[in-house]
Amino acid sequence: MGTFDVGGSQLDTSWFLLLGAILFAMGTAGVLVRRNPLIILICIELMLNAVNLTLIAFSRQLENLEGQLFALMTMTVAAAEAVVGLAILVDIFRVRDVEDVDDLSELRG
Amino acid sequence: MSLQAVTMLVLLFPAAGATLLAGRGWRMPRTVTKIVGPGVVWASFIATLVLLFNHTFNDFYYWTWIKSGSFELPFNLVVDNLSIFMCLVITGVGGLIVTYSVGYMAHEDDPSYARFFTYMDVFIFSMLLLVLAGNFVFLIVGWALVGLSSYFLIGFWYHRPSAVLAARKAFVMNVIGDVGMILGAFVLFVGYHSLTYAGVFNSLTTLTQDSGMLELAAFLLLVGAVAKSAQIPLHTWLPDAMEGPTPVSALIHAATMVTAGVYLVGRMHPIYDVAVYAHGAVAIIGAVTALFAATIALVQTDIKRVLAYSTMSQIGYMFLAVGIGAYTAGFFHLLSHAFFKALLFMAAGNVIHAMHDEQDMRKYGGLWGQLRPTSITFLLGSLSLVGVIPLVGFFSKEQILGAAFSRGDTLAYSVWAVGLVTALLTGFYTGRMWWLAFCGKPSPERPVEHPHEAPPVMLIPVVILAILATIGGFIQTRALGFGPHLIDDFLAPANDYTAVGRQMWEEAAGAVVIGLATMALGGLLFLAAYRVYVTHAWRPWTGRLPWAQRLLERKYYFDEAYNAAFVRPLDRVADLGFRDVETEVLDGAVVGTGELAEAGAGYGSFTQTGYFRNYVLVFVASAVILAIVLLLRAA
Repeated sequence: MGTFDVGGSQLDTSWFLLLGAILFAMGTAGVLVRRNPLIILICIELMLNAVNLTLIAFSRQLENLEGQLFALMTMTVAAAEAVVGLAILVDIFRVRDVEDVDDLSELRG
Repeated sequence: MSLQAVTMLVLLFPAAGATLLAGRGWRMPRTVTKIVGPGVVWASFIATLVLLFNHTFNDFYYWTWIKSGSFELPFNLVVDNLSIFMCLVITGVGGLIVTYSVGYMAHEDDPSYARFFTYMDVFIFSMLLLVLAGNFVFLIVGWALVGLSSYFLIGFWYHRPSAVLAARKAFVMNVIGDVGMILGAFVLFVGYHSLTYAGVFNSLTTLTQDSGMLELAAFLLLVGAVAKSAQIPLHTWLPDAMEGPTPVSALIHAATMVTAGVYLVGRMHPIYDVAVYAHGAVAIIGAVTALFAATIALVQTDIKRVLAYSTMSQIGYMFLAVGIGAYTAGFFHLLSHAFFKALLFMAAGNVIHAMHDEQDMRKYGGLWGQLRPTSITFLLGSLSLVGVIPLVGFFSKEQILGAAFSRGDTLAYSVWAVGLVTALLTGFYTGRMWWLAFCGKPSPERPVEHPHEAPPVMLIPVVILAILATIGGFIQTRALGFGPHLIDDFLAPANDYTAVGRQMWEEAAGAVVIGLATMALGGLLFLAAYRVYVTHAWRPWTGRLPWAQRLLERKYYFDEAYNAAFVRPLDRVADLGFRDVETEVLDGAVVGTGELAEAGAGYGSFTQTGYFRNYVLVFVASAVILAIVLLLRAA
């Protein structure tokens, strides 16, 4: 195994892994550098889905369904995380005007 | 009901009374306190009478208190003639005094009133436990409990700083004695592997004696006896204990608790019969204390303090008696002293009551005509203290002196001579007290012009004791060389050599003559005090010997010496500990720990910027580093 049949041409697993890595790196960079809370949440979703892609790629390669199971689990957790994260953001926006996450630094020691 | 149960009842009545009064006393009407407080003591007295008339003589075993391997300690009570004798004194004289307190403490408010009777009943219970205990552990428990109740009662008026200080002093002095007792019990346990009287005393008769160890044990027990009975050198607490209410002085610091030392030596006589040096020390301590306290009593002006020193002196006589082996004479004096000294204290209490708490007897004078019943009873008590025939004091004191004179060795002669001098001094200081307080013209400083006699509840117990002090001596007239000797027969039956200890020598023929001569001289000195302190025909001796007066007024500088030797050095050590150890080292360590945590938290909190990106950066960087490490290790 180790290859995927895409439209008649063979594609190596490493391409999928490379794509997952690129997406994950983009998500990480976004979380690190962007300051808009909504964007940060989106970037986190991106990271999670990059991981999903990696899991499914390996699942396919190893012919093991556990990877797909993990992907489903991750999607559930991602949905929950999005709900909670967005709810917190909505609440914060209601109370005050927040432009970026650096305004939320009350936990400074 | 079995006699075993009756013996338990003797203890349980006061315990139940104390529990009831402690728990509910202040919420119940005062009448209940008035009935329960003295009532339980009388109930105990009746239970003791049941034991007496059934000729109880047994070592009652109740249950096992401690069992550990081969060691077993029972809760057992010894009922023999000695403990019945002591119980009769405690509950009989105690009952009279507690009844008297119903009137004396009437000015207290309800909670204090109930508190007083709670403490009194606790004391009676503790004292009964002390004398009934059949093993050393419960002896020590009772011993410590009487010290505790004495502490409570001396400090009864806890808002007075002097009372609190006196209570503390008494407690500390008594604890010194407790430690001695405990060590003594340890020594006996090491030697005989038993803590019951029966176990120890039986081993004494069967095993070969290690007299060194017995001497050690006897001396350690003597420390306890000396502390409890206010003998030299642990006596300084007793005069201060007069801060307590007068019935307390009568019951605890005259009639019962302070005689516990005499009881101890009597109970431990199988040990003291072997430990001759410790036994001799008992006699010497008693004789020295008798003389020493009598000299101090010559110059005291507080009527209760005169009585306190007189108590020390009379207990010295008892120590002298048991120390030379005249046990029954010592216990006879214990009984007679309980009568006349409780009488003197309660009569003095009546006077203090009438004088609105003035205790300086130079400020009395002329009470004879105004407080006639109290005056008559006080006079009877005084004459009994001096030892005038036919009052009880004569028979008991002269029996002690006669026994000492008749034994005929150097020790006995020495303590006899000291006892004789003490008897003369007793005549003089008692006379001084009597004439100053009751005769002559009323002092211009007297707080009350027309004093009122005490109510019947305070007068009747005093009168009963006065009757006992007057005719009580006729139960044993050995001091005269003929007549009944009930106490001797009761405590040391002729056919029983294991009882309290028999006097092993015959009375000398001259003892009676010398006894009567002593009485005559003491009586003359009593009268001489009249010419010194009332008519002022003779100059008081103090004018000629001012240094001696100063020495006696300062009580031979014992308090000052103890302060210099123990209190102040310990204060300094405590100061040092406080200044240098407590504040520097211990506080430093405690505060330092806090400061260290605070400083650490201060530096640590720099990492908590509150910026989301910082946390994410740390998180990502850590993940990257972890990944690199894992990869390197896998490679």
